[in-house]
Amino acid sequence: MRKQRMISAAALAIAVVLSSAGCVANANSNANSGGGEADQTLTIAYSEGGNTLDPAEANDGTSDTLVVASYDQLVTYGTKEVDGKRVSDTATIAPMLATEWEVDATDTVYTFTLRDDVTFQSGKKLTADDVVRSFEHIKSSASASFLYEMAGISTVEAAGDDSVVFTLTGPNHLFLQILPMYSFSILDMDLVEKNGGAEWLATHTAGTGPYVIESWDPASAAKLTRNEEYWGDEPALGTVNLKFITDASNRLQLLKKGSVDAALEIAPKDLQGLDGDGIVVDSRPSNKVLFFAMNNEIAPFDDPKVREAISYAIPYDKLIDDVMKGQASPMRSSVASSTPGYTDEGNSAEHDLDKAKKLLTEAGYPDGFTFEFTLGSGFSDWNDDAVLIQAELAKIGVTMNITNMARAQFLEALAGKQVQSYISRWTSFVNDPGYHLGLLLTSEGTSNYMNYSNSRVDELWKQAATESDADVRNEMYGEMQQIINEETPWAYLYEYNIAVAHGEGLEGYTSYPDGLIRFFQLSKSE
Amino acid sequence: MRIIFRRVLAMIPTLLGVVVCIFVITRVLPGDPARTLAGENAADSVVAKLREQMGLDQPIWAQFWDYLTGLLRGDLGYAWHTGRPVAEDFATRFPATVELGLAALLIGILVGVPLGILGATQRGRFADHATRVISLLGASMPLFWLGLIVISVFYGSLGWAPAPVGRIDDALNPPTRVTGLYVIDSIITGDTVALQSSLAHLIWPAMVLSVGAVAIISRMTRSSMLEVLGQDYIRTAAAKGMGPARIIGGHALKNAAPSIVTIIGLELGQLLGGAVITETIFSWPGIGGYVVESINATDYAPVQAMTLLAAVIYLIVNLLVDLSQGIFDPKVRNV
Repeated sequence: MRKQRMISAAALAIAVVLSSAGCVANANSNANSGGGEADQTLTIAYSEGGNTLDPAEANDGTSDTLVVASYDQLVTYGTKEVDGKRVSDTATIAPMLATEWEVDATDTVYTFTLRDDVTFQSGKKLTADDVVRSFEHIKSSASASFLYEMAGISTVEAAGDDSVVFTLTGPNHLFLQILPMYSFSILDMDLVEKNGGAEWLATHTAGTGPYVIESWDPASAAKLTRNEEYWGDEPALGTVNLKFITDASNRLQLLKKGSVDAALEIAPKDLQGLDGDGIVVDSRPSNKVLFFAMNNEIAPFDDPKVREAISYAIPYDKLIDDVMKGQASPMRSSVASSTPGYTDEGNSAEHDLDKAKKLLTEAGYPDGFTFEFTLGSGFSDWNDDAVLIQAELAKIGVTMNITNMARAQFLEALAGKQVQSYISRWTSFVNDPGYHLGLLLTSEGTSNYMNYSNSRVDELWKQAATESDADVRNEMYGEMQQIINEETPWAYLYEYNIAVAHGEGLEGYTSYPDGLIRFFQLSKSE
Repeated sequence: MRIIFRRVLAMIPTLLGVVVCIFVITRVLPGDPARTLAGENAADSVVAKLREQMGLDQPIWAQFWDYLTGLLRGDLGYAWHTGRPVAEDFATRFPATVELGLAALLIGILVGVPLGILGATQRGRFADHATRVISLLGASMPLFWLGLIVISVFYGSLGWAPAPVGRIDDALNPPTRVTGLYVIDSIITGDTVALQSSLAHLIWPAMVLSVGAVAIISRMTRSSMLEVLGQDYIRTAAAKGMGPARIIGGHALKNAAPSIVTIIGLELGQLLGGAVITETIFSWPGIGGYVVESINATDYAPVQAMTLLAAVIYLIVNLLVDLSQGIFDPKVRNV
């Protein structure tokens, strides 16, 4: 303390001299009038500051979190308790701004009834017209327009002041699954238009949500306060401070010192031994998966036997234990194990070098081969995984040449579909196998960068999309997974855990497929 | 006056060259900004739409023309990864970097110059060796490592330093904005609370950042002092019975000043660049972290703007250094 006091004393001396010379109004002249600080405050450290507050354009964790805090959607996911922890129940769609909804006999016309007691943070009452115009905003956005398409929305029309009718292009079970996403937030469009349109939304909010964003500087911090006029349950936390701290070791340091109540994205090795001493590590399985993709159109990976051989050579346990320090679990199918319809049928891969060697011999490569592997930068676990896999493959005579690429360059290279093999991760914000498999593993899938193509898989996917019976649908998705498991376009590496390290006494944290924290659910007991 | 005018005019072709080079270099870099912005989960249609919004579907000469005419209107472009105009981002972040850089430079001068004088006057003795070791350590210290050590020891263990986040304590309002430099602003507005907090936040990263400047300034001071101390007029002054303080302060230092000022000027440019690492480690909301983010996102406009700004700063500092030579050396004044 001595040092700080010395500095303060010097500063004080300078200031006293200067201020006596007559002063301008200063910002802290009444600094201690915080006004009854009895309310609960949460301070939480994020790794980055986000880049937009527009719900339809947000696509990074921090932006999404801010959107979720300040906006509501028509419907939301239910929650349930699993092993004493609260998690989302994506199979149950719960009311939010809409109290109820009906679907007609053709499964294509949905009528939503709106709550009549909702006002925007601007003070204006929510009407059906706002909903209609919000969906126009989403439709014309750059990022969320593709979700709009995926939901199969044809028209959105107001039917009176409190009722909205959605007409779909055809039966589509993804519609209700996608609707609770933050992208489909309802905006006060009068306010938006008064301020010049969609561009204004990037730095301002126009929602009905539980928190008001008081300030947001992506370089340093954001401050949220409770929306006192909120239509739903009053949030327990009066103030939420977000701190944006790039360096992971600093986030850890701040948490240990108690300068923040919670910290995200702490490296797995630092989480070890952190639990206890006033800190709780809440680590949970997520549906974020990591896979090793092999390009089906580039030899020798055009041979399923070769791909299978690789899948037997991967040291699965080492990846989870040594690289992820236990902050991951085995991945056994092309979808995460928490996805509806999940099955690991057809996947027999385990770490077995003899089997791998035998498969290689059968495929005509008794002496192995050499291939190119592209490593995208930005995630240290990818790097460690690649090196471990490289070492294992060397034992069966396969040489893996690793080429490092900056992230921007890597994404561009993937889009060209000419990368022979790579590691990539995927989080399905919509917890649905149709969404996941459709984007990644159908012939037309926009993220199918390894050219996997199977006509039966494509056919099943199209059928399942229009099937309204969940059990029948999941059977189809099960068959798709089985075919994919057998043909091994990917070697499955692991399913990530999402860990939140926080001080004791933080309650109510509920995990969702999008990995975002909803502040209105949290409370502190102290 | 004419010299200044001529020098300023001569900057124009240099700046134009910088503008062209930077534009070409950023476009040649691999990586599609629209793809990076959209993320790996995005569909091609999303990327195409973004490309159109960002103007990347235009031919490159049209993009250059837009950029150049924008610059002439004072428009630095749009930072896609923050969703704001670059000029706006700069306005909020640049003062933080300047404040940090100036504080580090001040420490560099206050510590480096006396160290250099000490080394020169005590040449070959213990103090000289000690200053040599100090500057060697300073010059070779990796900033990220030093920064983490400082945080771990002075914030983590001893608790002397405030949390290494931001420029001022959370609970406080930033001082009323006049210059954007918190310390100066809080002095102007007589805001003792803000002054105390912003000084406490500033001092640690500034000390870390100043390490390289201390090393170089002290070495340069030492060598130019040695050169001067060997001159006949110093011996004459000493022979006339002038005290060592007056010899060093009045005669030697004044004559060594031109080269010291030159190195300090160059060091200022270095500091603004070196701030990138320090800012990241101390979560200092300046330009450094912003540029790193922009590069990662292949966001052209902020990178171009920053490079242009760096060029302008170097040119101005160079000009000031050259002009300042006239203060010390009358010969220069008449060139």
